[in-house]
Amino acid sequence: MGAIGFELRKHLRTESFGGILRGYGYAGLISAGPWVVSILGVLISGKLCLSAGVPPHEVRQFAVSVTYLMAGSLILTGVLQLMFTRFVSDRLFEERAQVVVPNLLGALTLTTVVSGALGAGAVLAFFGGQPFYYRALMMVCFVCLCDLWVVVVLLSGLKAYRAVLWVLFLGYALFTASAYAMSSHGLPGMLAGFTLAQAVIFFALLALIVLQYPAFETGRLVSFEFLRRDQSFYSLLLIGLLNNLAIWSDKFIFWMTPHTSDMVIGPLRASLIYDLPIFLAYLSIIPGMGVFLMRMETDFAERYDAFYDAVRGGESLGRIYTLKDRMVFALRQGIYEIFKVQGMTAVALILAGPRLLDAIGISRLYLPLFNIDLVGVGMQMVLLGVLNAVFYFDYRRSALLINFIFLAGNILFTMISLRLGYAFYGYGYALATTTATFAGLMVLQRRLDDLEYETFMLQR
Amino acid sequence: MAILPTQKKGEVADIAFLLEGTYPYVRGGVSSWVHQLIKGLPEITFSIAFLGGARDMYGDIRYELPDNLIHLEVHYLMESWSSMIPRAVRGNAAAFADMNELHEFFREPTAGMSDDLFRRASSLIGKRRKGITRRDFLYSKQSWNRITHEYSRWCTDPSFVDYFWTVRTMHAPLFTLARLARELPPARVYHAVSTGYAGLLGVMLRNATDRPYILTEHGIYTKERRIDLAHAEWIREFRETFGGGLDERVGYIRKLWISFFEGLGRLTYAAADPIIALYEGNRLRQVDDGAEDSRTMVIPNGIACDALSPLRGKRGEGVPRVLGLIGRVVPIKDIRTFVRAMRSVVSRLPDAEGWIIGPDEEDPDCARECRDLVRSLDLEQKVKFLGFQKIGDMLPRMGLNVLTSISEGQPLVTLEGFAAGVPCLATDVGSCRELIEGRTEEDRAIGPAGRVVPIASPEATADAAVELLGDEETWRAAQRAAIARVEKYYDETLLFENYRRIYGDALETSRGSHRVRAS
Repeated sequence: MGAIGFELRKHLRTESFGGILRGYGYAGLISAGPWVVSILGVLISGKLCLSAGVPPHEVRQFAVSVTYLMAGSLILTGVLQLMFTRFVSDRLFEERAQVVVPNLLGALTLTTVVSGALGAGAVLAFFGGQPFYYRALMMVCFVCLCDLWVVVVLLSGLKAYRAVLWVLFLGYALFTASAYAMSSHGLPGMLAGFTLAQAVIFFALLALIVLQYPAFETGRLVSFEFLRRDQSFYSLLLIGLLNNLAIWSDKFIFWMTPHTSDMVIGPLRASLIYDLPIFLAYLSIIPGMGVFLMRMETDFAERYDAFYDAVRGGESLGRIYTLKDRMVFALRQGIYEIFKVQGMTAVALILAGPRLLDAIGISRLYLPLFNIDLVGVGMQMVLLGVLNAVFYFDYRRSALLINFIFLAGNILFTMISLRLGYAFYGYGYALATTTATFAGLMVLQRRLDDLEYETFMLQR
Repeated sequence: MAILPTQKKGEVADIAFLLEGTYPYVRGGVSSWVHQLIKGLPEITFSIAFLGGARDMYGDIRYELPDNLIHLEVHYLMESWSSMIPRAVRGNAAAFADMNELHEFFREPTAGMSDDLFRRASSLIGKRRKGITRRDFLYSKQSWNRITHEYSRWCTDPSFVDYFWTVRTMHAPLFTLARLARELPPARVYHAVSTGYAGLLGVMLRNATDRPYILTEHGIYTKERRIDLAHAEWIREFRETFGGGLDERVGYIRKLWISFFEGLGRLTYAAADPIIALYEGNRLRQVDDGAEDSRTMVIPNGIACDALSPLRGKRGEGVPRVLGLIGRVVPIKDIRTFVRAMRSVVSRLPDAEGWIIGPDEEDPDCARECRDLVRSLDLEQKVKFLGFQKIGDMLPRMGLNVLTSISEGQPLVTLEGFAAGVPCLATDVGSCRELIEGRTEEDRAIGPAGRVVPIASPEATADAAVELLGDEETWRAAQRAAIARVEKYYDETLLFENYRRIYGDALETSRGSHRVRAS
């Protein structure tokens, strides 16, 4: 007899738990790496050029130009970064590695066209008074940086971050050497050296990727599959944009406020008071990042895999709960360790602050701002860890919320701090990173409480 | 795809058949019976709600639909829910608590059926306000809490993901049924031809409309599901990983399915009146499974003896040494035992042949195994797979009508064979013994119309076959008994009379209750 009671089943035991997102969360972490190296490179080369006799105002013009290039390129590519990283991660999970290179070339094409157009427009519209070499170099360098961030994100998605850091290190060594060598040409020489370094780094990384992937098996050199709605998550565009805007918003506010800033070159304004301490403080994330990368790479990633294997592999619910507890424990340890390491680093730097500033030859007047920036930067590091976890579990709405809080907080609190006066500078940023971090922890906590429910009941 | 007959607005069918995976899309005993009944009662109008699993499991309509079938609609229980987009919902705690109570009852059926409890609980299914919608069931936290709670309390199999999908799979169709119970076109009487999901739909319809609800069972649904389950490879079991064989420890997932269908059975028995079995054995089994004794009755199958009796004239001289097995090539028919028996028969009666008459596309694995067995026993010249054939062509050329099934209800093919003058050799399952040896004292006096043998016994089967085919006198006696019995007790006019009376009573009740409700 044909009773259906049982004809039902086979189709139904699907195993469609979302792709394992391992590696995808590193995007944020890794992309923080390059700009730490950049800051270091710009500072050191600035020092060297100064000692080689380049006029101080030209060194400052160079530093500010580079800062704007960085900010602009990071914000622009931030739109694409997360979405593209996720796209690559998903394709790798599907074992379709051969589509990666064509899509990277597609993403680079898109980035080059858009950044080229925007760069050319900006150079034509706002830099009329500047010499041709400056405008040309700015535009070229902008495009190079944009392409570079796209490539860097992809490398970090592969967890090839050691290779990334090596290339960056060598690239900036090259830059420092060439800037020093061309220092007799002043600003143009430094900018040319910087641009050259970016181009070298970009092509070196691109070569790394092309070597690592089975390319062109699809028979296409360039693919724009990553823009397809069924292959990508457009919400990641917004998350990436919000995150980069949030990171830069306090700086822009200080640059645009007349009494905290001055015109440096063309339309570019900078803040003598605000910029130096915060960029110095950014260097303090190196230990925290190291620790977190280690934690995520080892304990957490392992337990994350174990948890999802148990879910799919027919383990008992008790075992699934246990494995989840272990995974959450590893995550908590990871975040707690950043907290500890970052905290100790901040305390050490605060204690060593006066002598440190003396050593680099910066006025002790910067000390209070440097101190609070260390706190803010430390919290931003913790926030990075939280966001990383949020991405691991694919909580895109939560990521959006956290980044929105970060952006809104940074704008609001920075404006308030400006109003309150010099003693409060930097507190806006610190408060914003702290708020966003705690909001992030709360959201993460709540989502993790429901993890099994969401994993089983709400899977697609 | 053919256009299905559709009830006009304002039109009310007398009887609504609730069919699970049978008529008119799948051939078989139940389907033939439904077709026969609709055609045999032309003064009554019928509608059919066909419940299937998934669309691709069924082909075209296999019968010419009678004119008094005024409505046919088809629903696939496994479709429609996988297309939903998951979204967290809250779920109504009170409704889930009521469901919990119902499940407690299923677990302790001795507590006595509270029809009221089920009415309350079933009215919650699919209800938007204060009920449980399909979305609530699939995505709500309440639902998750219930599932994990039950798992922790009862499940002895380790795999949570299997338990989880089992619970989802078995319950998801209930929401389709609840929708159908609200949306099916009106009928005066509901008639389910199995328990299971179709039986439950009947319960829901009765609760919603207060119209009479009749249940006829050909087999016993839960028993058939047990057999299905024994063959179900899709249920992963713990012990399999440890290499254990078929032992007493039945996996929890299997038990869950069984008790689920038993629960559906109990609900159906509690709501249906009358509860009809084809033969006494099944009636007793229904009572065992919770049917109230006074509501049960036996109405055997009936066949058109007049139409088949001319076949007797087409028979040749003597007894053809042909053992025919008419049935689908599926595990439940245990064709392998038939083939093994043939090995023994052929060595004793070298001119004997075995014919397997029936479609073999339903279970290709089973068909292949049977053919392999024929080859390995060197019977290729003696055992033939004839595929689907008209039985009018086959019966006159057969000496014995053989059934080696491990489960049967009341096989029509046995009765048809009797009418055509072919004795039967069958396993002792279902009503086979009643058919062959007689049910009542008076019936038994007619004498045996063949032989009954134990299941899975090739030797006993062969012995009985040789006894009947080897001695013409014995065979003639069996043929006489076969013809006498079928004409006296199993003619279709009896079947029509019985159902005309049952439907008449139900329609009367239906009109009565309707008047009461209207006033």
